[in-house]
Amino acid sequence: MLFTLLKKIIKTSAGKTKFIMAFVGLSVALLLILLAIQIQANYHQLLNGKSNADSTANFLVVNKEVNNNTVNATILSNEILTKLKNQPYIDAVGNISGGRFKASIESLISSFPFYTDIAFESVQDEFIDVNTKDWQWNEQANFIPMIIPNMFLDIYNFQFSISQGYPQITPATLKMMNFKVNLYNTNGQVQSYIGRIVGFSDRISSVLVPQSFMNWANEKFGNAATTNPGRVVIRTKDPGNPALVQFLKDNGLTTDADKTRFSKYRQIVNVITNVSWLTGAIMLLFALLVFTLFIQLTIASCKEEIKLLITLGASPKQLQQFLIKQFFPPNILIVVIALIIITAIQFILYKILLAQNIFVSSLISFYTVIAGVAVLLLLWWVNNVTIKKYIKGK
Amino acid sequence: MEITLKHILPIPLKEKLIQKKSDVWNTNQTFNSKEWIKIKAPSGTGKTTLIHILYKLRLDFEGQLFWDKKNIDEINEIELATIRQQKLSVIFQDLKLFPNLTAKENIELKRVLPTPYYDENMITTMAEKLGITHILHQQTALCSYGEQQRIAIIRALIQPFELLLMDEPFSHLDKANTTIAANLIAEECTKRNAGFVLTDLDDDTHFNYTQQLSL
Repeated sequence: MLFTLLKKIIKTSAGKTKFIMAFVGLSVALLLILLAIQIQANYHQLLNGKSNADSTANFLVVNKEVNNNTVNATILSNEILTKLKNQPYIDAVGNISGGRFKASIESLISSFPFYTDIAFESVQDEFIDVNTKDWQWNEQANFIPMIIPNMFLDIYNFQFSISQGYPQITPATLKMMNFKVNLYNTNGQVQSYIGRIVGFSDRISSVLVPQSFMNWANEKFGNAATTNPGRVVIRTKDPGNPALVQFLKDNGLTTDADKTRFSKYRQIVNVITNVSWLTGAIMLLFALLVFTLFIQLTIASCKEEIKLLITLGASPKQLQQFLIKQFFPPNILIVVIALIIITAIQFILYKILLAQNIFVSSLISFYTVIAGVAVLLLLWWVNNVTIKKYIKGK
Repeated sequence: MEITLKHILPIPLKEKLIQKKSDVWNTNQTFNSKEWIKIKAPSGTGKTTLIHILYKLRLDFEGQLFWDKKNIDEINEIELATIRQQKLSVIFQDLKLFPNLTAKENIELKRVLPTPYYDENMITTMAEKLGITHILHQQTALCSYGEQQRIAIIRALIQPFELLLMDEPFSHLDKANTTIAANLIAEECTKRNAGFVLTDLDDDTHFNYTQQLSL
């Protein structure tokens, strides 16, 4: 009853146009801010979500760029290795150790004759994208397991076999074949072993052998003391991280450009979200200002009425409660509308991206809702402070 | 409720009042719930000023004023609202009604500001007694001064109070209506064991005053 009477006394319709302007401004501002948060949340999900995980995307082979200055000096120094390990966006660094002995490989089948010199490399097992029980070696082993790049098989099947008139080979067939692996010691003496291909890798473009074999062979056939690696594999959550790309560039390092190309997209997304943030924040600031002015105007235009109400014994609390009830509910409406719009946009986005096999959540992020509530609290606080301030002035 | 005055002198009237002998100005005086006090004074001697000072509407005075032993300067806005809602009621000379509200709404406002003392029917009961039932739903701005004064009287009586301040409360009423209104006020004060302070121009016998003072 009291509020009904107060509503008749304190006319809140004093600046209806201003109120509508503030309402629209606030809605747009809120929409931009919440959208920025939602975009970030989606992007985060795209980067780290399990359904989007790409086995090769998170591992990069890094080496020095070969140019006139670094020719024959591409060994990575301890300093650089430490630096790499210390970067926050690099989770692990695996040294690729090369064989320090000469080797060759040849076919044992006459219908598929080939012979080639070869060099082996090895890396800790955790950096290899092939999972097979054959990937082990000791001195009693019957064969040396090898992993070759997928690319090698492609080159054979689609270039070599056609031009030389050889049959194409399936990965399964290749895995069944035995090869003769010749290892030479420093004096040129040769020792032959059986080698077998156990898997194909997309990650490291090198002929890989188990670390245990590499250690043994280097000791038995090797020509020099252990040196630092020329290449390393790094594991990172986000190969598209612009900071990582910049770090590699600054240190004269290079990697598979294909994997870091997301860096460019990422920068664009960052710019868009930042612009959205900033615009939203500035608009919010102005909308808050207009709101404050609107409240001030209303209270000022009812100065005499408020004064008389206080004379008659109305408590500041009663007036504040009444005014908050007049001014605040539209704010709740704005936040709810903004959240509904973003939910709709998110659902549409989900549908569109699903068609392209990209998975984002069909619902809005928890953080977006939290941000909406936070803005609502901010609005409540601004309303409250303004009302308190101007009632006190009367 | 007790209002204690210690050498109060309103600053704008200081020069004029300091030369005169007064029962209220520049002396020690107490108004409480036990007394029905009449203050008689000619125009321009500060009757309205006194009522406003007693009600804490103006602070431009010298001396000290206490509400229930508490210096009025120390009373914050929350206490002020509580006292005006629960203990101290007032009928202003200029009535101070909301012109765009109806008569009933003006009274209702004062009824519901505090925890209501009377239920809504009491408005009609009092209006019947004072003969203004017909204008209860009329906008106050359209009522005559006499009607407005009776609205203001009912408004002051609808709330709980221990002390009632009245500033020439019958100035727009004829003799018959004055008597009826005075009876209602007396009845309500007796019911609440409340006291009052009434200012007027002339002598009268509307109430059994416990004290008659001159300003």
